[in-house]
Amino acid sequence: MATREELRSMPGGLTPARRRFPRGAAVTLALLCLAVVLVPAFARLDQQLVDLHSASLPPSLAHPFGTDEVGRDVLLRAVYGLRVSVLVGLAAAAVSVTIGTLAGLAAGAAGGTLDRLIMRVVDGFNSVPHLLFGIFIVALFTPSTTAVVVSVALTHWMTAARIVRSEVLTLRARPFVDAAIGGGSGRLRIVRRHFLPHLTPHITLAAVLMVPHAVWHETALSFLGLGLPPHLASLGNMINDGARSLLAGNWWASLFPGLFIFLPTLAISALAQYGRDRSSPRRRSELQL
Amino acid sequence: MTRALGRMAAWRLAFTAPLLLVVTLGMFVLAKASPFDPVRQYLGDRAVTTSPEIARRIRANWGLDRPLAEQYLTWLGNLLRGDLGESRSMHRPVAELIGERLGWTLLAVGCATVVMLAGSLVLGALAAWRRGSWADRLISGTAYANEAAPVFWTALIVIWIFAVKLRWLPPGGLTDAASGTVAPADVLRHMILPVAVLAFSQSSWLVLFVRESLITTLREDFVIGARARGLRERTVVVRHALRSALLPFVTLLGARVPELVTGAILVETVFSWPGVASASVQAALAADFPLLAALTLLATLAVVAGNLLADTAYVIADPRVRVLGVS
Amino acid sequence: MTPLPRLRVEGLSVRFHLPGATVRAVTDAHFEVRSGQCVALVGESGCGKSVMAHALLGLLPGNASVEGAAWLESGDAPPVDLVAAPEKVLARTIRGRRVGLVPQSPAAHLTPVRTARAQLTEALRELGNPDRADALAERAGLRPPDLDLYPHQLSGGMAQRVVNAIALAGDPWLIIADEPTSGLDRPLVDATMTELRRLADDGRAVLLITHDLRAAQQVADHVAVMYASRILSVEPAADFFTRPRHPYAAGLLDALPSRGFAAIPGQPPELSDLPEGCAFRPRCARATDDCERLPQPLGSGRVACHHPLENHAAR
Repeated sequence: MATREELRSMPGGLTPARRRFPRGAAVTLALLCLAVVLVPAFARLDQQLVDLHSASLPPSLAHPFGTDEVGRDVLLRAVYGLRVSVLVGLAAAAVSVTIGTLAGLAAGAAGGTLDRLIMRVVDGFNSVPHLLFGIFIVALFTPSTTAVVVSVALTHWMTAARIVRSEVLTLRARPFVDAAIGGGSGRLRIVRRHFLPHLTPHITLAAVLMVPHAVWHETALSFLGLGLPPHLASLGNMINDGARSLLAGNWWASLFPGLFIFLPTLAISALAQYGRDRSSPRRRSELQL
Repeated sequence: MTRALGRMAAWRLAFTAPLLLVVTLGMFVLAKASPFDPVRQYLGDRAVTTSPEIARRIRANWGLDRPLAEQYLTWLGNLLRGDLGESRSMHRPVAELIGERLGWTLLAVGCATVVMLAGSLVLGALAAWRRGSWADRLISGTAYANEAAPVFWTALIVIWIFAVKLRWLPPGGLTDAASGTVAPADVLRHMILPVAVLAFSQSSWLVLFVRESLITTLREDFVIGARARGLRERTVVVRHALRSALLPFVTLLGARVPELVTGAILVETVFSWPGVASASVQAALAADFPLLAALTLLATLAVVAGNLLADTAYVIADPRVRVLGVS
Repeated sequence: MTPLPRLRVEGLSVRFHLPGATVRAVTDAHFEVRSGQCVALVGESGCGKSVMAHALLGLLPGNASVEGAAWLESGDAPPVDLVAAPEKVLARTIRGRRVGLVPQSPAAHLTPVRTARAQLTEALRELGNPDRADALAERAGLRPPDLDLYPHQLSGGMAQRVVNAIALAGDPWLIIADEPTSGLDRPLVDATMTELRRLADDGRAVLLITHDLRAAQQVADHVAVMYASRILSVEPAADFFTRPRHPYAAGLLDALPSRGFAAIPGQPPELSDLPEGCAFRPRCARATDDCERLPQPLGSGRVACHHPLENHAAR
């Protein structure tokens, strides 16, 4: 009786073990969230404190991430920076999903010319590279938190618009909408009473998935010097400041703050991957029975 | 095939003209909504001492006192005639600036694209073929991590390792500061890091895409058919599976131009590469509307061209589309 | 004395492991195919026939486990167990060279982005066959220009001839034809069957996997009936078609249009949820309590039934 183990080496034939829950990712994300929420409350160190005696110190026990050019603790500032970036990211995600929802609702519910027009505008916005568009917006207005939020929102609303539009189109085909129209409900009332409740989960998911994008966008703008005002300890500003002393050998001031973008993004993508795997089990048809 | 190609190109072009019109209009509206006053910016420190009368005359000279619609049409007309205006921050014609810098961007982005394509194909195919092996885990793990890492951060890590610690390669610029001429060998040395970082940062999605696509294709009937014929493994993977798996990839590649532009902006800036992408950042920092507008339009054109190229490649590559035409 | 060339399948079982279920596609199969013979493996779709073809060629996906043996004893080469042979041996010495596959839905088994000629030439080159593609195509009944078409441009009959030509490129001794007639009209089925018969008459062994009893009748020397992963009977074709002994075989024959169109009542069981004992029991008119025990193959015709038919006259 021979069991055919060789099959396991058949190219592409290996079926992977069921993906395990990415515990490391969840723990990392939880720790970062805790740090962001708690540290500003506990560590009453003035984060703007300038101490030239301890400038550009390499990582040590007292300063695990080292200190920057003017002697500020990089770890503490990075935690504050993450907080700023996440807040800006949340605001931008909220604004962009709101714009997207309104546009998608209008396109899906009105149909016809308005629908086509809105979808052409979506295509138009998608044709300009997002970062360049964001740069354009920030450049023409004074660099400020508002400008960054507007820039991120204006370059990211299209995804939400598409999702909402296609959901509305599916909903319109459902009988309860016909019933509502037959019952004499007005358009706005139908949108409010019937569409919005069904759309809420989709909109929420879109908003959550938008946050890492928004943070990335904000960070990139700040890194280019076109983002948040320089005095704000955002991650992008910190990497931008730190990059100047990189050639002098001070790597910790720019590379450690980057970890605070890299790790949560990686953790979120691992969790999202896990979620996708769970929701789409292997199809039986793959077995060629 | 030519008929299908022609129909598709016509369709694309018909879409392009209104698109560019919308983009120019959008930029113009944003510029007008901007609190920056181009005249004050032009005068700089002199703005305080210049009499309002002179400022008014400059304004009239630039047509800024005309109605907005007229201003827009004048600007659009100039663009169509190839007059891109004068860069306010660099005080030179925009067309000249772009002409000077475009070559460097195309050189860097072109090389990066070639490196990225070759590398991703080999690595993605290897990962799919040896799915579940340590090589697959290393390749897909790196690709996932790369997806999460901002490109400017990756660039800084690379600079620190290869330019600061190991001192193998220069950290940026086009040539050594000391050299007055542009020697090819010198440029090549300065090109390696930016090209490598751009290629690496753009490759992660491609590696994962090739891997996924090939894994699916390896289960297809025609791959099983090819294997059942007794063909060599290499032939089965390369000439049957990979060749079919790459079809959707040509379209996706064209659709990635926006990401390529984004990557080029960040990488050129980090490495002080004198291309058009880094010029857009400099233009933005100086609120230089003519230059920024021209560069944005250029990028939009690149996106449209990328889409057209992708469709063309698809029509040529897929015999099914070639015969049936674009549906 | 060299043994007679043959394929001897002994206790072959194939299981697929899915999350939360095990699918038994083939269970304890015994049969043999000799040189010059055509054996038809018949059964309703979904009974595990095609899995058998893939198992013999080592083409099952990674979540399959295979037990038993399938000895390929041909010519002077030492016998090879197709089940235990490593992938390398299968790829380099078996597939295409000693065992050829005529696949189900031929057009789908050709790579869509390459012409028939490219694929035929490639197979000839890699299998060391000095013949030219045009010559081989003409022998298979194709005009040379047909080879320059892409798979989606080929008609069903042309695609069938192309895969036949490719399957014969390495001059294999055993041909496994996996539902070669699905989707073909009658004249093409007849032509394909004639071709398979010719291959057997040339001294090759042919294993025809099909649900088309009429096609099987045209070529088969022996008929093996498969139901719910098991082979229920192996009989000489003449006996099978005139006086089948297994009730299921009789049911299949009675369902033929020419024999009264009387379909077997009920549905075959799910392969992931097979009953104990005889799997045909719920649909069988002759079932008794005995049938809760698994029937062992009995007699020269090897019929696995507690109550075989003695003289089921064709209706």
